[in-house]
Amino acid sequence: MTTHPAPESGPAACLRRRTGLIVPLLLLVTGIVLGAGTLTMEVPPNVASPGPQLFPTVVAVACVVFAVLLGIDVLRRPEPERVAGPADGDPATDAGTAARTAEAADVTASSASTDAPVDVSEGAADDTAGAGATRVRSNRGAVAGLVGTIVAFIALLVPLGWLLSGALLFWGVARALGSRRPVFDIFLSIAISSIVQLAFSAGLGLNLPPGVLAGVF
Amino acid sequence: MSSLGNLGDGFLTILTPMNMLWVLVGALLGTAVGVLPGLGSAMAVALLLPVTFSLDPVGAFIMFAGVLFGGLFGDSTAGILMNTPGNSTAIAGSIEGHRMARSGRAAQALATAAIGAFVGGILSSVLVVFFAPSLAELATLFGPAEYLALSVFAFVAISAVVSESVLRGLAALVIGLAIALVGVDGMSGTARFTGGMPELFDGISIVVITVGLLALGEVIAVAARRGTKEDLRVMPSTGRLWLSRAEIRLAIPAWLRGTAIGVPFGIIPVGGSEVPTFLSYGTERRLGSRRADSLFGKGAIQGVAGPEAAGNATAGTAMGALLALGLPTSATAAVMLAAFRQYGLQPGPLLFERASELVWALLASFFVAMAVLLVLNLPFAPLWAKLLKVPRHYLYSGITVFAMLGVYATSSKILDLVLVLAIGLLGFAMRRYGLPVAPVLIAVILGPLAETEFRRAMAVSEGDPSVLVSSPITIVLYLVLALGVTGLLVQRARNRGRAIASEANPS
Repeated sequence: MTTHPAPESGPAACLRRRTGLIVPLLLLVTGIVLGAGTLTMEVPPNVASPGPQLFPTVVAVACVVFAVLLGIDVLRRPEPERVAGPADGDPATDAGTAARTAEAADVTASSASTDAPVDVSEGAADDTAGAGATRVRSNRGAVAGLVGTIVAFIALLVPLGWLLSGALLFWGVARALGSRRPVFDIFLSIAISSIVQLAFSAGLGLNLPPGVLAGVF
Repeated sequence: MSSLGNLGDGFLTILTPMNMLWVLVGALLGTAVGVLPGLGSAMAVALLLPVTFSLDPVGAFIMFAGVLFGGLFGDSTAGILMNTPGNSTAIAGSIEGHRMARSGRAAQALATAAIGAFVGGILSSVLVVFFAPSLAELATLFGPAEYLALSVFAFVAISAVVSESVLRGLAALVIGLAIALVGVDGMSGTARFTGGMPELFDGISIVVITVGLLALGEVIAVAARRGTKEDLRVMPSTGRLWLSRAEIRLAIPAWLRGTAIGVPFGIIPVGGSEVPTFLSYGTERRLGSRRADSLFGKGAIQGVAGPEAAGNATAGTAMGALLALGLPTSATAAVMLAAFRQYGLQPGPLLFERASELVWALLASFFVAMAVLLVLNLPFAPLWAKLLKVPRHYLYSGITVFAMLGVYATSSKILDLVLVLAIGLLGFAMRRYGLPVAPVLIAVILGPLAETEFRRAMAVSEGDPSVLVSSPITIVLYLVLALGVTGLLVQRARNRGRAIASEANPS
């Protein structure tokens, strides 16, 4: 976890405030993939006139157009420079959520009465979206731990079986989200995974992979 | 009066001990998920979809009715007690609700919210019972061109209204349309964007998409926020459990006004209850400012009563529009549509003839669910709030386990788990950068419909595009859409101008 960085300059900081570019980039790639897929599509010979290629073409073009428009929008309006405060310290954001939500509520109220409620409501919904003057802190370690756990779960589900991989999933996600009692969590996750196995596999008849414990049950 | 007779039959169908149990289970689960911040009834229904496979359709759908409305009852609890609304539909009601809680009237706020949700839900369900059959009859007049117009209306309305910027809404819509393209094209049999994988020939399952976008996306967002300062104090629920006569006198007109505002929005595809709840809040505030003893800003009971009633009224009529027209007007309705399709049922005019027993049982279960939820929420709302004291990491890892279990149990395909993770990351990126999720769901559901109807219309007219705007219904729909979008853009431009002006010279 990084503490408050001093105001930076240069291209790195410039990009840091514009990580939102990932969305237009994704749209652009989608558009290109769709376009390529449409060109190489194997269409049966006797297809009625607006064929299966028309819609993908339209969507592909729309992807590229919105990628460009959204890209321009992100470049023109970067996120605020200041990062939201961490859990401890930083008195400036201490009063943060409460004061800011109250403020947002007032703004909402005044504009709700002018019949344009939603744009403000979104702002109040997640003050991450830019209602406050701070940028969202992203805990990259936690996200990486979470995604890594899910990847491991997907890889191990069939070989290990539900009981063990499900327990691993619960344990890993709880840890990534900030649990600090690993040993207690092991028992808890095995309990939850077993309850699920009993309720859904034995009770409701869902098909869960038995894995290495196949013979035990 | 055939509606009443049918509804009576519906009640007879569901008033069995087993079915009542499903309503109760649905209501409990829906409320529990609704109470959790960031998770709403759309996600609750999506998570339960695979679980209900082993039930008969009637049992499954009455459980969904409980979940659907349970989510709406529950989402105001966290908003009032913690100022973290469970769902975007609860934001408007939480503004005054949390102020009431801070001034020691949390119990009254919770009671007002629960009764408001009950009033809005019951009144709109009554309307659905009487008008859905005629709406379905009207819908039999619809041809391909009309359905295309309805889908286009839904696409544009939801993208323009739900998001803070039209650009982001439309970008989200396009993402959804792209996802919906994967699979074998129903009209020509062409495999599109499947990469040759037979697992993808049926397209990406709606369960995968909703669970990924709504559940996993939220869990990843929670992980990313870890370590950020958050105000998570739960207000103690103090104060009288019942409302005084003066409070009821203030609340009753607000409940009714909220319902009146909410009802029409169920039929217009603008993405659910956000708009009507805020409209209702604005109305109550304006009316309140005329009174000398207005409590707005200090916790006004009308500010809770109106939006809560509006939100549930919208949800009720949205289900009516879904049943009669087959058109989802909100994310929750889109997931319910997916539920119907899982059972091989297609909502729309024919549903009332083909599966009339199921439809009326579902409508009857709305009333039962509403009554059960009132009992569960009126006295026990403070107990539900205890759920928020369970450590967050256990709550959300439980949700992750259920999400993965549900996705795998539906299809037994590892590929679906990979897809749900990818879509979850997409959902997280969209949350992080302010793109709304609802347009994606609507696009995934209605995209294939729009394409099919377009191609059908063009095939009938032999390539003449004027057939798309040849009937009065289509002309009216496109005109209303154009007017609405223009009005919205003008309004936003004016607001932005005003905001800049007030920033320039603060008075």
